[in-house]
Amino acid sequence: MPFPRTLILAASLVFTGDLVAQQRGVTTSEVFSRYADRVVKIQVVETGSAAKATIGSGFFVSGSGHLVTNYHVISKLIHDPDRYRAELIDVAGAVQPVAVLGVDVVHDLAVLGSEVRPASYFSLGPVGIAQGHRLYSLGHPEDLGLSIVEGTYNGHLQHTRHPRIHFTGSLNPGMSGGPTITQEGRVIGINVATAGNQLSFLVPVDRAAGLLGRVLGPADDPAARTLAEVGRQLRDHQDAYLRDMFAGETKTVELGPYRLITEPAPFFRCWADATRRQELPYEKVRHHCSTDDQLFIAGDQSTGVVDLDHEMISTRKLNRAQFFSLYTSVFAVDNTPGGEEEHVTSWRCGTRNVRNASLPMRAVLCLRRYRKLGELYDGVLKVAVLGRGDSGLVSTLTLSGVTFENVDRLARRYLERISWR
Amino acid sequence: MAMILEVVHPGGTRTLHRLGEHPLTIGRGLSNDLILDDPYADARHARIELDESGAPVIEDLGSVNGLIARDARLPGRVALQPGAEIRVGRTLLRFRDADEPIPPALVDTIAPPAHGPSARSASRSRRPRWARRVVRWGRTPTGRLLTAAAAASAVALYSWLGSAERSSASSALFAALGFALIIALWGGIWAVASRVTVQRFHFVGHLGVASLVTLQGLAWGIGIEWVSFFLPDAGLSDFLSIAIGLLLLSTLVAGHLSLASGLSRQRQWRAGFIVAGTALLIGGLATLVEEESFSDVPTFSGVVKPVAGEWVPTATVEEFGGVMAALKKQVDEMARQ
Repeated sequence: MPFPRTLILAASLVFTGDLVAQQRGVTTSEVFSRYADRVVKIQVVETGSAAKATIGSGFFVSGSGHLVTNYHVISKLIHDPDRYRAELIDVAGAVQPVAVLGVDVVHDLAVLGSEVRPASYFSLGPVGIAQGHRLYSLGHPEDLGLSIVEGTYNGHLQHTRHPRIHFTGSLNPGMSGGPTITQEGRVIGINVATAGNQLSFLVPVDRAAGLLGRVLGPADDPAARTLAEVGRQLRDHQDAYLRDMFAGETKTVELGPYRLITEPAPFFRCWADATRRQELPYEKVRHHCSTDDQLFIAGDQSTGVVDLDHEMISTRKLNRAQFFSLYTSVFAVDNTPGGEEEHVTSWRCGTRNVRNASLPMRAVLCLRRYRKLGELYDGVLKVAVLGRGDSGLVSTLTLSGVTFENVDRLARRYLERISWR
Repeated sequence: MAMILEVVHPGGTRTLHRLGEHPLTIGRGLSNDLILDDPYADARHARIELDESGAPVIEDLGSVNGLIARDARLPGRVALQPGAEIRVGRTLLRFRDADEPIPPALVDTIAPPAHGPSARSASRSRRPRWARRVVRWGRTPTGRLLTAAAAASAVALYSWLGSAERSSASSALFAALGFALIIALWGGIWAVASRVTVQRFHFVGHLGVASLVTLQGLAWGIGIEWVSFFLPDAGLSDFLSIAIGLLLLSTLVAGHLSLASGLSRQRQWRAGFIVAGTALLIGGLATLVEEESFSDVPTFSGVVKPVAGEWVPTATVEEFGGVMAALKKQVDEMARQ
């Protein structure tokens, strides 16, 4: 997830950080002066216009000029290597070209190579720290120059499929790919995302160490920095956790007369809410489960989300014709993920009235394919249960960035598992 | 020399009369030999008779607008020659020689019916008497006003049944009022057009035509929804939408033209089909372009209807797999392009 742009909020939070820094005075400025030369600005430039397309941060991890940054900082270069080039700008303002040597799209990491031979660099290795430990994040927020942000370590997030460190500190756009370190200069994680209000996220350092190890290892392959590799990583990733989803025993939830799948894996987060208002002649109850693990592809395009949405509507006040007109409008609501023509095809949908072992329903499947990532698809299955005059259920399964085999397999299992209570 | 009088009426229709020895009176009054449906003609406007030498002459009977030839008013009595053209109000009188050569008859490409009467009169005679009465009554002003009222009520009912708000009655009322306003405006535009072409407003008539087509449109629209609910895969609803759209639009145009022009019924329908066909062609091309261009919003048939489960024809989950495989083919093809 790239940084959302919350500039006003970001400015006030940086100010608070400065106050803290003044109180602790020497320590923060010492940390900054000691490690600033290991952190660089990374920018992706459009070759034709020489205009900056994206900026981020990165840091040296070897004496031979290797750097670590986020995949989303350099993704344009992977998607369109003929149109873009990447360069680093060091603390002294010197510009050097960089090349992508390896990517880990699932954890949003990339290793870059350069001709620079830095005087010092960060070693990547395991670090044991406790919750509340003071950390320092370095990077180039909003292209305003290298900055340091103080914050605290708050452990790993619980409900994610990919490990993320919860860092309480103000990360801002442009700091992506920069290091978050201890006072002693040990890297804890790589800045990756923020939810605002000092709620920020880091990729744990061991993932970066793993990727660097692969790049430096004997089995390094030039194909490992291409779009085909990105597609392969996404396919392997989705297959690992979707293959057995909805198979065997799965948790169910009861909404009115319907029994439905819920929380298919521990890394799903589920919510429920109800709309019962005096001025409405009907009631809505909604149950929603989703993974938080969006994987950045490029631009505004993300993938990797599995989402279940059940919406039950019922009425005692509307007649049948009115109720089914409402039911039709709820069913026809578009809740498919957005997309860009560069990355995905248009949707194509098929509709059938389908009956499983328990009940009849109207089922629509909409499918689109990723253009450059090999055999990856987005699939949205929408179902409206038929047969009752005073209640209805619209259930939607959204799968993004998965193989067709998984769309087919999961849609069938999903259809089979909707039943009367 | 026998002479023929060709009358070109204000709507463009033509009639031919042989001039005989007896005088022929012309005017709007019903006692004339040639009665003109032309508000600019006097009740007794002109008379054609033979003079002492047996040659035809036309005489102005003191009319308001007179006899006009080549944009000039003629004196009281004028001799007539073949080829002469005289305007009476908005009606043109053209005098032709009875021996004038005429082109040979065209060969009819439509096969004649097996027995005597034409196809149309045969089908008309097949229509039961009550239906003929309903059609005749529908063309009276009362019938047309009641059709308009029925269409407004149908719009209100449709809006009420489609509303899931507490204030559904008021939204139905607004829908009916909105419809009344639009249809009055539409009828008004056609009425003005009629006034220009055939010198009659026919406002209520145009209102009736538009209302009847609206009623049919609502009925067919509901029918197509049910077809797409029961048979979502057949593509039948798309075909029906196009066919019915064509029929309704041409009915609308032909209906209005029957009041606003002097065209024959066949030409009214031909004009209707041309207008409807052009509109559908443009619409079809726009849809094709839209389908070709990229969109991240899917389109699908999301209609659900209150039908008991056992009445709904259904596929198995296994068969739904076939739908998914077909979609895969389509998007794979799009990705290749």
